[in-house]
Amino acid sequence: MTGQYAPQQAGSDPLAPALEARVQKLGKELRCAVCQGVSIADSPASMARAQLDMVRELVSQGKSDQEIIDYFVARYGEWVLLEPTREGFNWLVWLGPLLLVAGGAFVILRQIKQPPASAGATPAPPTPAPEAEDPYLQAVRRELE
Amino acid sequence: MKRWGITLSAVALCGALLYVLLQGFGRNPHEVPFMLSGKPAPSFTLRALDSGKAVSLEQFRGRPVVINFWASWCGPCRMEHPVLEWGAREFGGQAQFLGIVFEDTEDNARQFLQQLGASFPQLIDPRSRVSVDYGVAGVPETYFVDANGVILGKHVGPIDPQSLANRIRELSASGTAATTARP
Repeated sequence: MTGQYAPQQAGSDPLAPALEARVQKLGKELRCAVCQGVSIADSPASMARAQLDMVRELVSQGKSDQEIIDYFVARYGEWVLLEPTREGFNWLVWLGPLLLVAGGAFVILRQIKQPPASAGATPAPPTPAPEAEDPYLQAVRRELE
Repeated sequence: MKRWGITLSAVALCGALLYVLLQGFGRNPHEVPFMLSGKPAPSFTLRALDSGKAVSLEQFRGRPVVINFWASWCGPCRMEHPVLEWGAREFGGQAQFLGIVFEDTEDNARQFLQQLGASFPQLIDPRSRVSVDYGVAGVPETYFVDANGVILGKHVGPIDPQSLANRIRELSASGTAATTARP
């Protein structure tokens, strides 16, 4: 009977440091096919190892970073990119949060700039007024004086 | 007037965010897109598990090819294998069946085939180069390549006899369409 897991295979031998740095950098940008939002450089899955081996192979063949990214996108679609490309509708993902922060800051600034106008008018002290008019309280105060 | 502008832009922003969320929730996050449909099947030459001879995709040009990626450690592959054995016997005349062993030891793969039968060629894919070249995102996966070497589609997960029969019919149809189109 065979096991439930893929037999562990070591990755292919690392390349020269400069090239290997590119392999790891590209590996961080590509999503592992069998994991949950983990890059192929970070995942211990055999599928991720196989994909990282492929990145290493393509780097050693002298392919450019863009060619290697294109190779994976051609197979797994844009899904494979952990960072969506900066184009078209994807800009919303990049700029949406910034717009929200800017909008929030704008609202806060407006509130800070005009506090006396609104704050001065509404919180007219409501408690002392009825007390002052209360005849019993006035009587008690007179007694105490 | 100014207030309306702010309200409208807030509504637009919320609408866009909702759209993004709907897109995300409407999709199975485990499903990896497959982009090679309709593209030429990547060529390969791999070693056969039993004979050790080199087998390449090119040598089957002119015949539809069914390529199954599997591993002995994968439970669903164990369930699926009898269907493929049946398919290879039933449709062997219409399509060439090939198995590619994914991330496994040769001994384990041989043992698996001894138990479950090996009626079609099984190939060893060192370092899973060919699997990644085909955009495999887990096993089992079955690819359908027509007589012209174009990938018609793939089946993710264990295939059932009905789907297999339907796919083979599509393959044959695509093959005849191509041959009649050619003068």
